[in-house]
Amino acid sequence: MSSLGTKRLGKELAKQVSKSLPPGITLVKADDLQEWLLDIQVLDQNPIYAGETYRLKFRFGKQYPIEPPEVVFTKQENRPIPMHPHIYSNGIICLDLLGSSGWSPVQNVESVCMSIQSMLTGNTKNHRPEGDADFVSTNKARPKDIEFYYHDNEV
Amino acid sequence: MARDTVKAGLLKTDGNKRFQDGDFVGAESLYSKAIIADDTNPALYTNRAMARLKLGLWDSVIADCQACLKLNDESMKAHYYLAQAYLELRAFDDAVTHANRAREICAHTNDKSLTQVTTLVLRCKKDRWEDSEKKRKRAHKELEEDVLTMMRREKADVTESISDDGDRRQVAEEWDDKMAQLSRVFEAARANEDKRREVPEWAIDDITFAFMIDPVITVSGQTYERASIMEHLRCSTTDPLTREPLQPSDLRPNLALRKACEEFLDQNGWAVDW
Repeated sequence: MSSLGTKRLGKELAKQVSKSLPPGITLVKADDLQEWLLDIQVLDQNPIYAGETYRLKFRFGKQYPIEPPEVVFTKQENRPIPMHPHIYSNGIICLDLLGSSGWSPVQNVESVCMSIQSMLTGNTKNHRPEGDADFVSTNKARPKDIEFYYHDNEV
Repeated sequence: MARDTVKAGLLKTDGNKRFQDGDFVGAESLYSKAIIADDTNPALYTNRAMARLKLGLWDSVIADCQACLKLNDESMKAHYYLAQAYLELRAFDDAVTHANRAREICAHTNDKSLTQVTTLVLRCKKDRWEDSEKKRKRAHKELEEDVLTMMRREKADVTESISDDGDRRQVAEEWDDKMAQLSRVFEAARANEDKRREVPEWAIDDITFAFMIDPVITVSGQTYERASIMEHLRCSTTDPLTREPLQPSDLRPNLALRKACEEFLDQNGWAVDW
């Protein structure tokens, strides 16, 4: 099988080490080419996210970047799950870019982080998706296999 | 000419099983028996070449691949194994030629091994470049030493013929200066070679971030390496940038860029590992 993923990720890492990431995005851990952790902050004065830092976990499959990485928020001390009508309280993000049909191999870790950052920046609704409690207690599927219904794309 | 296809087929199946189990010696001997039963089936030769490749029998791999190509000169596998054997034998030009040929056949027949074969082409080119660099550097160093030796001899001859001590010392110093200057010139040339290397953005595929050898252009005007855009299209028939529908038949080779990439890589083999 092709080792597309490892090679490309190595290059993304080398690029990110030599070139800095955009403001508000920091690489926390990238010890291997399977799982990376990044912190993101919302830089404008959006009251929902002011002063907070959120942690994203990327998991890459062998077929990355042909297939999308799995990207979720993870909760820990000082790293809450951001409030957003497209982010479930277990950290799963409903974003077409991260689904098999919305993904494109020209996307990369940096561009995904920027998309998530801007999704938070533009948000004014301080609540979870509809049916959050139900979804969180019943969902067993992996994030990218969930068929989200992208109903209100203006959020 | 032997032609017992049934017997050969059975032996081949057994050989494949041995191969899968990692018994390459057993597989090789079964393929040999299959070839004795039927020496007209090109696939038997490439199967044996594959087993011999695992066993490190490079010359025998080459013989098998050549036998196969005599029966079918379009055999992707024969060219692919040949390239690997030549690479091991450090016959870099032959390795590049056959890797290229295998890649062309893959591209032409929409073979799923395209990514793998593309990687081999890059490796062959890199190894060839490294080899020629090593030779060039050695020649450079030898040239420096030869010239210095001649200068030392000249210095000895000249100083010997001068009887005045003061004059002799002065001439000797002049020669020492000249030799130091020559060493600096050679040193400067070497430093220049090792300066920071950068791969031009135009040569990089946006999907794998690897150096391109067969760039193809989509309807939207964006260029990708053929192997990587084909992998993407197997997964989703859309243009990665615009998400408009995109079929493999919509791809066109980007010949000018291909030539530029080829020329750059010939001069800068290190770019493969960028």
